[in-house]
Order: sequence, then C-alpha cells, then structure tokens
Amino acid sequence: MYFEAESEGLKYQVSVSESKSHWRVGMREEDKDWEYFEIRKEDYSFFDDTVSFLFKDSSYLLDVLNKGTEYTVYTRGVFKTFKVYNEEALLHESLKAGGGMGGGLNLSSGMPGKIVKIFVKPGDEVKAGDPLLIMEAMKMENEMRAASDVKIKEVLVKEGENVESGAELVTFEKKK
Amino acid sequence: MFKKVLIANRGEISIRVTRTLRELGVTSVAVYSDADRNGLHVMLADEAYHIGPPASAQSYLNIEKILDVAKKSGAEAIHPGYGFLSESPVFAKAVKDAGLTFIGPTVENILAMGDKLASRDLMKKAGVPIVPGSDGAIADADHAVKEAARIGYPVILKASAGGGGKGIRVVHDPKELPSAFRACQSEGKNFFKDDRVFIERFIQNPKHIEVQVFGDTHGNVCHLYERECSMQRRHQKLIEECPSVSVPPEVRERMGQVAVTAAKSIQYVGAGTIEFIFDNKTKEFFFMEMNTRLQVEHPVTEFVTGFDLVKEQITVALGQPLSFKQSDVKQNGHAIELRICAEDPVTFTPNPGKIRKYRMPAGPFVRLDNCAYPGYEVPIYYDPMIAKLIVWGADRKECIQRLQRALAEYMLTGIKSNIVLHKNLLMHPVFLDGSYTTQFIDQQIAGKKHRELFMFVDDKVFLISAAIEAYIQSKSRDVGDYNLASNWKKQGRLKSMRSV
Repeated sequence: MYFEAESEGLKYQVSVSESKSHWRVGMREEDKDWEYFEIRKEDYSFFDDTVSFLFKDSSYLLDVLNKGTEYTVYTRGVFKTFKVYNEEALLHESLKAGGGMGGGLNLSSGMPGKIVKIFVKPGDEVKAGDPLLIMEAMKMENEMRAASDVKIKEVLVKEGENVESGAELVTFEKKK
Repeated sequence: MFKKVLIANRGEISIRVTRTLRELGVTSVAVYSDADRNGLHVMLADEAYHIGPPASAQSYLNIEKILDVAKKSGAEAIHPGYGFLSESPVFAKAVKDAGLTFIGPTVENILAMGDKLASRDLMKKAGVPIVPGSDGAIADADHAVKEAARIGYPVILKASAGGGGKGIRVVHDPKELPSAFRACQSEGKNFFKDDRVFIERFIQNPKHIEVQVFGDTHGNVCHLYERECSMQRRHQKLIEECPSVSVPPEVRERMGQVAVTAAKSIQYVGAGTIEFIFDNKTKEFFFMEMNTRLQVEHPVTEFVTGFDLVKEQITVALGQPLSFKQSDVKQNGHAIELRICAEDPVTFTPNPGKIRKYRMPAGPFVRLDNCAYPGYEVPIYYDPMIAKLIVWGADRKECIQRLQRALAEYMLTGIKSNIVLHKNLLMHPVFLDGSYTTQFIDQQIAGKKHRELFMFVDDKVFLISAAIEAYIQSKSRDVGDYNLASNWKKQGRLKSMRSV
C-alpha cells in the first residue's frame, strides 16, 4: 500500500506491505533514496493495547493515536505527528467530513478552551503575525495569530464561548 | 485524633492528605467540582461531595459551600492543601468561626506574611537578612550614586510601578548609573505614571533556596533544612531537590537558624516555608517571602528527613507538641522531585486532554504522587500538573540515576507532557554540576526545537509505526466502508467512461 506522509514541513513517500511473518516498510524523504525495513511481526506486537516495537535492538513501548489522517506516535516521553494519507484515505476523510481537504484556509483550536477576545471581523485583511483572537485554556491566555497575509471570511465563534479541541474558529478567503 | 477531616482541594495533594488520614484511621472527605467528578481524589477518599461548577471561584474557592459540606459531612477539621484557599486569612477565620479546626497556621500568621512588603519590613526588624536596597525612593542621580556605593555593585534600578521589563535597569559600573537612573525614571513616568525609582543589589547568579519550618502551639519551632527550587520555567518550579549542592555546611546551618528566627518572630504554627534568594557567587542569602502552607515539593523533605509532614500538621493542629526536636532532624541522602505536567515540553503551553496509555514508574525508593490514570481527561480549568515523581538516593548521583531509570519506565500517551524535558534536564551538565540558576531554563532550554529534545528515539521509529498503523486502518476501512467506498469508485468509473 502506498502513502504520502508529512511532518514538520518534511514530505515522505511510504510503502507498506505485509506477509504472514513480516512487515515491509519503505520510506523516502523528498530528494533522498528509498530505505526499506523488514520488521518481523513478533517485533511489532500489540500487548495490552500498547505496541511493543523492537527496532534495531532497542525496545520501544509505543502508542499511536489516529485522528483522521493524523497519526501521533508516542514513545519514551516523546511524540511526533504525521499526516499519512493516500487517495483512499483522503476520500474517506472527505466523505466523513462532508467537504474537501481544503487545508490552510481556517484557524482551528489546538486545545479545548474559552474564547476571551476576538480582534477581527469578516472582511478584515490581516498580515502574518497579526493577532486574531485570544483563547484561554488551563488558566492561561494564548494569543492566536495569522500564519500568513489573509482576508477574514467568517468568524465562527463569539467572545465567551467554550470550544472543543479542533473546532473551527475563523475561516479565510481563498488566495488569488 | 479527629474522626473526620475535609480536604478543600483537588488533584494529587488531596490524595496525599487522604493517604495520611487513612493511615491515622481518620475518615477523609473530598470535594469536587463538575469538572472533577472523574478525579482520582474523589475515588480514593472515603466520602466525596459536589461543590459547584468547574470555575474555581464557584467551587474550590467557594468558602460558604465548603463550610456547608463540612457541616453536612460532620468533619471536625479542614486541610486546605496548597493553592486555592490555603493562604486565605478569610477562609482560616471562617473555619475557626464555624467551630472547626483549620489544619494550618493561625489567621495572624497568614496575615503577617500575606503582604510581601510588610512581611519584609517585619523580617528586617527580626534581624533576617533582606536584599540590600534603598529605604525609600531615590531623589536624584547623585543620591542614586551614593546609595549604590553603600549597597554594592551590581545594582538593579526599579521603577516603583515597573514591570514587564519596563522601568528596570541593571548597572555594573557607577559611570552608567546617572543615565540609567534617568531612563528608569522617565519610563516609570511614561508607562506607569509613577516616577519613583528604587535601588537594590542585583543578584548575579540567583538561586531559589527555601527552608522548611515547623512550629507548634507550645512555642517550639524547628527547621527541616533546605530545598533548592531554582529549576523553573515561567517563574514556576519544575525540579526541587534536597539538599542543595550550592549551600556550604556552615551556610546551611545559618539559613536554618535564620528561618527559625523568622518563624519564631511571628509565633508560627504548623508547616511553613521561608523562601530565600541565594547568591551563588557570594553564598549570601536574603529573605524573599514566607509561604504559610504545605508546599508542592514537601515530599523531598519527607524523604530526606523521614518525617510525614501532613501527619505532623494534623497533630500540631490537635494542639500536640512537635514530635521531634531540632537535634532529631538530620539530612539523610538526597531526594529530587520532578513535576510532571500536561504541557508542551518546549513551549510550556498547557495541553489538556484525554490520556490514553499510562504506566507509572515504580521500584525501590520511587514515589509518585499522582492524580492521573489511563483514560483520564485532564481538565482545562486547573493547573496542568498531573503528578510528582520523587526519588531518593544515598547521594545525588544515585538519586539522578534512579530518576532517569524511573523516567524510562514512565509512559504517558494521548497528550503532550514534559517528561522528555525532564530527561534532557537530568543529563544537562549545568544540572549535573548543580550550578543552575533560576534563569537556566529561560536562557538555555526555552526555544529549542522539539527535535533537539527528542534524542531518545530513533527518528525512523515514528514513521514506521505511523505507516503500519495507517496500513491497518486502511485495511479495516476497506471492510467496514465497503459500500461507501465502492459507490465512489463506481461514480469515478462512470465518469471516466463518459469522458472516453
């Protein structure tokens, strides 16, 4: 099975196949060569709902959290999130969400919290780094800023409103 | 002994108090807000009462409601834990007026230490060293030069109302002083409408070192030696240890005596902590403030001295004398506490949410004061600290090795935590040689890339695991969503046929 993956601005091509006894995972970072890993299935096993992964003689106890096309791997106190997708996965996600993958055209909350203040209204043009709103989570105020120069399309929340993790807060106009 | 005690708190400290109560055969009463129905402190206590909505102001800070519950449950005493109402003189008085016992200092103790400026004056009168500085505002540049010469360089000029980096100047050389003074004065005037400027000694290698004290109602006060809490981020402690490697033995003895003097000067009762700013260059120490409560980091003192501080709080509240004399208090070995928080290890942004897997470290000389469990949702309303990992070793080296071992056993997934930050700190030469100051994390760790901290994992592990998981998901989807996917496939095929 073929996938594309992204993390921290890096893009990868990934291939996964399995036999009765092995996983075969290939990966290729952009502009680099393919690397292949033959992993015995007994070295990547589920115990008590946790994965015990023996890799290059190191023992990793890990857990993979999947949300849509995002896969977050936690192990040894460390975590890393990849977007892993192929056409099938994207199709599945768009069916579930009832819309396209879009991406980059909205601001969503990274954690559950409360909207304290909103600085923008529909039609405003903001520069990269301009504050959009302030969200309070766990007794701390976090200012959310524009990542690039954009025009505000909609503001989907009100001051004082509680929002869930991942909730859409502000949408932007498509760039020309 | 009390028959029943209410704990006006939540999280790990509520559990900590419940543990001692149970050991003493006392019934424990927990309280919880709407956000804490699933709290471990509720499940571990003998009784639990709902006290209101998530917001602290309407629950854990609601004096009336807490006293109602105390009455309803028949509790005879209230332990306030730390934070929330623990240092509220209004609460301590209300508890007393309701005919209950407040397990903590007297109302007068809390009032005396509650005002930072007034308490400093009080301590100065009692002969406790405070940071040398001008008694009042500085009149002009000449006056500033004179005062600075008396105090000793380097000095820090502070606009009376200054803050956020404005109205503050550090001066190393008398020649720079007049212009720095004028700058501070005008910043104070422009930004804060107050042109008064004060001058103080600037502590170059500041460490936060505090001394645990304990008083009883019979006039006895003992100290239980120091804790070093210089490892801080955002002015909040992250690692605490006892003893401090920076404090020479004779300074340690003097700090203890000074702390006892300070506590005695206000007839202090119960557990308290005298915080000092410690100059690691000159080994001088100066009074900062007194915390009139049990501290988060009390377990390191418990490990090293062997006393149960919560038990001592309870017996002192019952009017009994301290169970030990000063000569009984010995520092045995070394203890370090790490605060485990649900937060990003690099940006320190809180990361509440649902914990998936949770495996706690155990083994010899390891203590985990914890309030999390697998499936626990860390609420957004309160402090992000979910556990304290405290470890004892015969010496500092063994203690650090044991901590590294314990951290290697610790598994927490589903939310971000600062476990990996601790792993990095425990390996850092500046932590290992003990020379770290309160500015260490801000200056040397903050702003690093995640990648730099994540050296404990072969980077390939992440992508291989994510890929295998994506493959498994994809395969299960083929079965489950067969009709859905096949419809789309059908549409696609139809479309391509039409275009032919």
